Amino acid sequence: MSVTGHNRLALLAIFLLIATLGWVLLYWSPAVQTTLNLRERPRGGDFVLDSHAGPVSLQQFRGKVVALYFGYTQCPDVCPTSLGFLSLAVNELSAEELAGFQGLFVSVDPERDSLAHLQSYGAYFHPSILGITGDKARLDPIVESYGAAYRKVESASAMGYLIDHSSETYLIDRNGVLAEVLAHGTPPVDLLAALRRLLAQPQ
Amino acid sequence: MGRVNALLAMCAGILLHGAVLAGSAADEVAVADAYARAVPPGQANSAAFMLMQNSAAVAHAVVTAASSVSAVAELHTHTMSDGMMQMRQVARIEIPAGGEARLQPGGLHVMLIGLHSDLAPGSELSLTLTFEDGSSKQIRVPVRRIAMKMMPHKMEGMQHGKMQH
Repeated sequence: MSVTGHNRLALLAIFLLIATLGWVLLYWSPAVQTTLNLRERPRGGDFVLDSHAGPVSLQQFRGKVVALYFGYTQCPDVCPTSLGFLSLAVNELSAEELAGFQGLFVSVDPERDSLAHLQSYGAYFHPSILGITGDKARLDPIVESYGAAYRKVESASAMGYLIDHSSETYLIDRNGVLAEVLAHGTPPVDLLAALRRLLAQPQ
Repeated sequence: MGRVNALLAMCAGILLHGAVLAGSAADEVAVADAYARAVPPGQANSAAFMLMQNSAAVAHAVVTAASSVSAVAELHTHTMSDGMMQMRQVARIEIPAGGEARLQPGGLHVMLIGLHSDLAPGSELSLTLTFEDGSSKQIRVPVRRIAMKMMPHKMEGMQHGKMQH
């Protein structure tokens, strides 16, 4: 009696194993490899750059939700629009929520953006937005890891060179993980909703 | 000789008459909703936006600009390419016959380069637009801090369709 019971159990186990194996072989296809590549799935990650008050690392903002944006202060329109939208969203946060938020404006134009100017530029939009930068050798790996992009373009304009750059806003959760990438022009209400989603998550 | 002179005078008269009938671009292009972006202290540049409406049956174009607050004013536009926002200088801003050209965030704008002083909200600057026929127009442009309140939807002028992907 007990022997046949064991046999049945073994048969069932083998059947389940084969069924599972078959299902995996037939239906499971790793979507990640077919539809996305690494460039489209930025990994984010920690970095250290310079502010007017000394080095700033992403790690020091663990426990806070961080909004990260790459731009340059001579950018007359795109950057102020993005930072303006961010400030509108941040203005809606309660004091408690605001305590859990940090904005980082990373200048990809260290040649022209001094740390003092970056400080006042960030703060102009909101006191919680800090302007930081570093030399190209330090900037480029950070830009790449977040899936951002920029390039210096020579021009006949009186501005001298111009900078083309991506204009996404990167939201990093309380654990330092890149959680959301918001497209250029994302309305303040949507920015606010995304910030609140991440602020509501426990660390 | 006298006959040639008379012919020339007649031609000139006809041309002049035609020009008077057509009017100058500066007369036929109306500018509305002009504003310049207030900028943080120490900023070197800003941008001015406006709506230009052409009441004429012919197209007009702005070819140069000058401002009271900056060393230089240039005509620029934005396009989205390779996932990056690109700002580029343009030679002219066309205003089609009976149509309009909208200078707005994310698109065409007058770049104010080399600001003499900070552009504070509530102040005003003067902008001179020169058209393809040499006529020019001076406009008063209030300085505004853009995006002052929450918008339920995308701000006007931020639609992607306007960015010439």
